[in-house]
Amino acid sequence: MIKESKEKREWEPKIIAFLCNWCSYAGADLAGVSRLKYPPTIRIVRVPCSGRINPFFILKSLTDGWDGVLVSGCHPGDCHYISGNLVARRRFAILKDLITFFGIHPDRVHFMWVSAAEGERFATLIKKVSKKVKKIGPNTKFNNSRE
Amino acid sequence: MEKKLLLKDQLSEFYNILEETYNFYGPIEEKGNIIFRKIKNPEDMVLDYSNSKIPPKNVVFPQNEILFEYKMNDDKIEIEEPKDIEEKKVIFGIRPCDANSFYLMKSFFKFGEYEDTIFLRKRENTILIGIGCNNPRQTCFCTSVGGHPFNKEDMDIFLVDLGDKYSVESISEKGKTLLEKFSWLIDARPSDIEMANELKVKAENIISTKLDIEITIKILKNNFNHPIWNEISENCIGCGSCAYLCPTCHCFDVIDEEDHYNNSGKRIRIWDTCQFKLYTLETSGHNPRPSKVERCRNRILHKFSYYPSNYGLIGCVGCGRCVNWCPVNNDLRVILNKICEIERKEESIIA
Amino acid sequence: MISIQEKNNQIEKSIHDKADKLLREDQVDAVIGYSKGTIPMRSCPVVIRNEKDVDALIWNNFCSINLAKYLAPYIPTLKDEEGKNLRVGIISKGCVGRALIHLAAENQIDLENITIIGIPCNGIINRSRILKEFGVEEILKTSIVENELILKGKSFEKKLPIEEYLNELCKKCKVKSPPSLSSLSEICVGELQDISTIEDDFADISEFESKTTEERWAHIEDLLSSCIRCYACREICPMCYCQLCFVDQKLPRWFGKTTELTEIILYHLVRATHLTGRCVACGACSSVCPMGIDLHLITRKLEHIVKDRFDFTSGLDPETPPPMHQFKMDDKQEFMLEEE
Ligand code: SF4
Ligand code: SF4
Ligand code: FES
Repeated sequence: MIKESKEKREWEPKIIAFLCNWCSYAGADLAGVSRLKYPPTIRIVRVPCSGRINPFFILKSLTDGWDGVLVSGCHPGDCHYISGNLVARRRFAILKDLITFFGIHPDRVHFMWVSAAEGERFATLIKKVSKKVKKIGPNTKFNNSRE
Repeated sequence: MEKKLLLKDQLSEFYNILEETYNFYGPIEEKGNIIFRKIKNPEDMVLDYSNSKIPPKNVVFPQNEILFEYKMNDDKIEIEEPKDIEEKKVIFGIRPCDANSFYLMKSFFKFGEYEDTIFLRKRENTILIGIGCNNPRQTCFCTSVGGHPFNKEDMDIFLVDLGDKYSVESISEKGKTLLEKFSWLIDARPSDIEMANELKVKAENIISTKLDIEITIKILKNNFNHPIWNEISENCIGCGSCAYLCPTCHCFDVIDEEDHYNNSGKRIRIWDTCQFKLYTLETSGHNPRPSKVERCRNRILHKFSYYPSNYGLIGCVGCGRCVNWCPVNNDLRVILNKICEIERKEESIIA
Repeated sequence: MISIQEKNNQIEKSIHDKADKLLREDQVDAVIGYSKGTIPMRSCPVVIRNEKDVDALIWNNFCSINLAKYLAPYIPTLKDEEGKNLRVGIISKGCVGRALIHLAAENQIDLENITIIGIPCNGIINRSRILKEFGVEEILKTSIVENELILKGKSFEKKLPIEEYLNELCKKCKVKSPPSLSSLSEICVGELQDISTIEDDFADISEFESKTTEERWAHIEDLLSSCIRCYACREICPMCYCQLCFVDQKLPRWFGKTTELTEIILYHLVRATHLTGRCVACGACSSVCPMGIDLHLITRKLEHIVKDRFDFTSGLDPETPPPMHQFKMDDKQEFMLEEE
């Protein structure tokens, strides 16, 4: 009975979200505490700062079969470590340019800034990310893709 | 045994018969490179190539070889062994030097207390149908390392390209039994045999590189420490192209690739080479071959000193692949000549 | 216009003169250059220590290696007993000059001990392409006559126009001789080029990018699928000087080590991210690939990204920190997700 309904359920993407501890994670928390609705498609990994994100994390997530990857940090100027997110921004820019160039859909990987006070913005952006990833469908490019 | 003839028109029939019982491998062109692959259509084969880019060792010793796969279910572990070990294979169109390399590899994988059953079984299940080289390349030097463009020793069946047909000769027992399937092959005429012999002499004369390997082996024994190694390794960049293209290089690494999400994984054997600095790097951080000087030296010594003393063989078959593809043109023939020079120089000093 | 052959001769002569002078006057301990290859269409990097040997130095359109590789880090034979770097002269086509300048910008080398022997490069011939076109026909001998490459085989003799058979990167190259800088004038002999910025429309990149995502992926898959992970491209690259490359890391092991297509693509993709703003477009990586994989599209894209985003071209100025070493508050962030 349960199994049947599982099969019938519409495909939902699985998105891994790397959130910086000081802003975005708190923003996600706020969204939850404020009981804002957003799709349950993301799995959160808390990181100290968006500057901690090695492009490997993103690529490894893709090859492991995650349908989408999201990275979120403090707004420019607000980084707890002053410039972690500014350093990261350049990395993200070239990574996104390169994966797009290689033929990986640009909507697989998203970057955003969310502060601790922006619970609502967090929920809105998550909805947006989910919608975009859903639109491009499951990630099957890599041999390690999983169910 | 008397020789037979296989017309080139009959090649697909030949293929069809073999393909029933064997996985048939042969040289095909893949993105401009000649590589041995499983043949689906005999017409795809490029048989007048003069040296494949990747040596046919990849058929029995692939770059990635799954040793076993495992899956964990609660407290049960299921292990799956590879299925292709007992697979029967034919390698068609292999060159004498590459066939010789199968013999060298076998000596290595059989050496000592622990035999590598995977390789040995695979080798045992493989039949080599080779073709002599009518047109050795400029960079070939098989005759200097005990080989010959028409060397048939290491093959099961040996062919000679006579233009529109091949002369066919069974060499080993395996080859003889196999040829029984082909009772329809016509006998070679004396003129064909004569032609094959002429081609053999012609091929031998094309080979221009002559190296004195005996002396090299002797010199290498006493010159582990010599300034020549600095000179030889000076422009080496430490990549793996010489080893990966070498038909006799057999070094490997064993890695585990886990799939954390499914509690399963594979143990894989992959090619490795002594030219990479990681090859000898120890867990402590110590590296007994810290620089390319030691690594380059190892490559030469392994082939021309350790092989002779361990197995009484030369660890190089003279195919010239590394000569052709070394990024910085660090030519093995030049290296060997430089090593010979050591003695000559010393002699002149004494004199 | 003088022919390529003549130009090569001129360049070669000036290399001999300059190297001879530097060694004879003891301004350098060694000169790194190219010597004649032992097989068609290759040259062999060599270190010359005595002015008597300078005639071994050559210049032709097969000098594909970026010699800066040997200085980052210095190879053992270019150090003295105490491990101090020797004074080295280095035959520098444009991209060797760029590599040296960029390595200086990354604090990997000290230009003080280096003498750049600048030469006006006239392009490197695409050996892989020619070998692929000739297939099983063996090329026995090559020579450069006027503007043509003459290839002789057992039963053929063919002429190819050199201009057309240059590396794709060389065709688009704007920095033929090492860039001239006031800070460099003391360490430079030979020809330099005044250049502070490059103009390039990157038409090849726009063309590739006009393809669909799937088409691009298919192209990249097709391009890279024959890679055997010999790492010749990495080892020859003057910018790949890391002590431990990410693909070799074991704890954690980021990527698989097999030749599964995914792993190959990841290797090349991550290598590309690591070279953004650092690649000097010398094309050495493509020249050395034993499988004949031409990486020029990727290396061009690297130049395009940094030019487009940060108005930067690598290897023109040792004082400007490379783009990935810095940031600006107002960097472009059009790719960041916004609510509307
Ligand atoms: S040189 Fe070629 S084969 Fe070797 S790792 Fe690079 S792309 Fe792959
Ligand atoms: S990536 Fe290739 S083109 Fe760029 S600097 Fe390295 S070797 Fe030269
Ligand atoms: S602490 Fe949030 S981005 Fe640096």
